[in-house]
Amino acid sequence: MPELSFLPALPLPSNQIIWFGVLLIAGVVGGEIAKRAFFLPRITGYVAAGLALGPDGFALLGRPMLDELGVFADISIGLILFELGHRIDLRWLKRVPRLALTSLAESGLSAILVYFTLTQLFGVGPLHAAVAAAIGLATSPAVVMRITADLGAEGQVTERTLLLTALNCSIAVLALTALIPSLYLEYRAGWRIILLHPLYLLGGSFVLGLAASALTLQVLQWIGKRVEVQVLALVALILVTVGVALILKFSVLLALLAYGGLVRNLDRNHSLAAPDFGLIGQMFFLILFVLAGANLDLAAAVKGIAIGAAFVAVRFIGKATGIMAFIPGSGLKARQGLLLAVALTPMSGLAVIMLQDTQSLFPEFGRALASLVLPAVVLLEIAGPILTQLALKLAGEARPEPAAKG
Amino acid sequence: MGELPFKLSQPLTLGIELELQIVNSRDYNLTRGASDLLGSLAKSEHPGDIKPEITESMIEMSSSVHESHVKLIAELRTMRDAVAAAARTLNLGIAGGGTHPFQKWNDRRIYDTERFNQLAGLYGYLAKQFTVFGQHIHVGCADGDEAVYLTHTLSRYAPHFIALSASSPFQQGEDTLFDSSRLSVINAFPLSGTMPLARNWEEFEAYFSRMQGFGIVKSMKDFYWDIRPKPEFGTVEIRVCDTPLSVDRAAAIAAYAQALARYLRLERPWAISAEAYLVYSYNRFQACRYGMEANLIDPCDGSSASMRQDLAATFSRIAPHAEELGSRPLIQGLLMGAQDSANDARRLRARLKETQSFADVVRWQCEQWMQPR
Repeated sequence: MPELSFLPALPLPSNQIIWFGVLLIAGVVGGEIAKRAFFLPRITGYVAAGLALGPDGFALLGRPMLDELGVFADISIGLILFELGHRIDLRWLKRVPRLALTSLAESGLSAILVYFTLTQLFGVGPLHAAVAAAIGLATSPAVVMRITADLGAEGQVTERTLLLTALNCSIAVLALTALIPSLYLEYRAGWRIILLHPLYLLGGSFVLGLAASALTLQVLQWIGKRVEVQVLALVALILVTVGVALILKFSVLLALLAYGGLVRNLDRNHSLAAPDFGLIGQMFFLILFVLAGANLDLAAAVKGIAIGAAFVAVRFIGKATGIMAFIPGSGLKARQGLLLAVALTPMSGLAVIMLQDTQSLFPEFGRALASLVLPAVVLLEIAGPILTQLALKLAGEARPEPAAKG
Repeated sequence: MGELPFKLSQPLTLGIELELQIVNSRDYNLTRGASDLLGSLAKSEHPGDIKPEITESMIEMSSSVHESHVKLIAELRTMRDAVAAAARTLNLGIAGGGTHPFQKWNDRRIYDTERFNQLAGLYGYLAKQFTVFGQHIHVGCADGDEAVYLTHTLSRYAPHFIALSASSPFQQGEDTLFDSSRLSVINAFPLSGTMPLARNWEEFEAYFSRMQGFGIVKSMKDFYWDIRPKPEFGTVEIRVCDTPLSVDRAAAIAAYAQALARYLRLERPWAISAEAYLVYSYNRFQACRYGMEANLIDPCDGSSASMRQDLAATFSRIAPHAEELGSRPLIQGLLMGAQDSANDARRLRARLKETQSFADVVRWQCEQWMQPR
């Protein structure tokens, strides 16, 4: 036996635990620098830190490790989508049907404008354009939720930004699922798969969400109103649900949105105090953004700068027009409507996940699709948080800055 | 005429102001909603007046001036429905109650007007801690002398108003053990307490101009007394009440004030005296702390009586006046309902015991106030 066999072999391997820590501290430092030195949202700093470490930056973090770390992103997405789903207050929508119309209008118009811009100006094929438009109509839930929490924002613009984000994410996921048959058709799949796969995704994810929410409500009722215990149980159940969705190849997005929405709207006894994942949530938020930064494909963005800029511009016009059309009688002033549209600009991780989901089913199609969507994602990964923060501040809904410390 | 003209008003006319809580409908914490809500209400037609208050989580609803409580109730209900409708559109909750059970005072935001910013600058943390919600009752007076007389003599009944309206048992996520913990917050202000012993309007004017000369006050607004004359309105203003959980209870308490005022101005049972104030702080504390279980001391003969006995005795004295005003059954219901110790504070505690959740308590408060359609 060699004498120094207790020493680790060279080159030293790294592992996910180290990287989790490294990403966390890099994010914390990046966030503080962004906030203190540049007065930017912390999120921008998280993304920048990830970008610096990732393959397109100093390449300390290689592609294989990045893929292994994807599990943390899945956890984050699970928590975020649950909380987002929980924001969908059906009673509010029923009382103010105009809100639902606003949501349909802003989602629909931005998708239509993106579709025609891609097909007419850039000569993109209709199916590619349609899938890109479906992905593009969603606002980044992670960005919107993180920024509102960071700013302590409260008020109508904030509330509606969160509601419309929850709704447009749901619409985007449904639209994408609805486009799957066309994709299969394009690739000449058999009718069984054309029909059954979307049904499996839709039905399976919904049933999973329903089962999870029923179980959750039972568990929460048994636990009682102790918030800390509730939160731990909730995190546990969300992890299980994400895991099950992955194993059964359901749509994680759909399942978790349904789960959150159903917990909110089936909770007749008000067993759940508002979910606040606190520090656990913040940690996973941070990791998600650092990973998003590390995954950023700057080359694609540079190459597709024109398409990205056009995408972002018409998407905003669509959202703004849709919202302003329903301003009278909505309880908002015109200025607030415009700020709401600006606040809905971010596009980020969710778009990437929808992209990856499509790519895993249709690799070739996915690559072409990426070149349409990624430039906009890269642009908005940087600009989105800044715009949302600006909109909420201009709306007067951010918590006032604490007075100078003596 | 002196420097503080007392506006003529019809005696015994009635008006009230209610400070209301604005909460979100997710976790039922106080939220920044006043400017959105007022913006939305500006477009709708409603009687009375709805104004901002010092923080963004608060609005004030003021009725018009009424001769009869019946019209007051009708108007308050109409206003309540308008506010509730606007709040529903914005997914906000509106609640009565003297304090919010679990808000943290430091989270509050000052409503952006010059006066409120100036008050916040002057009073510092007190301004934010002043996130408490009261009912103010105005009763019309024939002249300044009558206002002074009523201010002094109504002070004997301040404990009644405190106990009947008490709805602030919780603060900052704790049971305070008080039925009305709101009044203790007001005690912190330098110009709180009771009016000094002026015996008529002339003496009061002299006192006021001295205080003004010292630069201590600019207007009557700067006095945070429990009961004060309000020369601009020509009224006496009772300010010790918590905002009750429903507009109906608020109106009933106002009707009680009206009947009492009628009894006092017509029968003149007491002369103005310093003696009444010997027991004032004690009785006031008892009412705040114990509500309907309070023990009150009579300043004339030093005898003590329970709140319930005192309410019953008072009712028999003012019953003919309530009869004249048409409010006898209403006041009987209010004062005799108190015989089983029921007030809003007790109801709130029962609710907490049942649900074990402050958020559920506030949700219930919203239902009580907004009245589901």
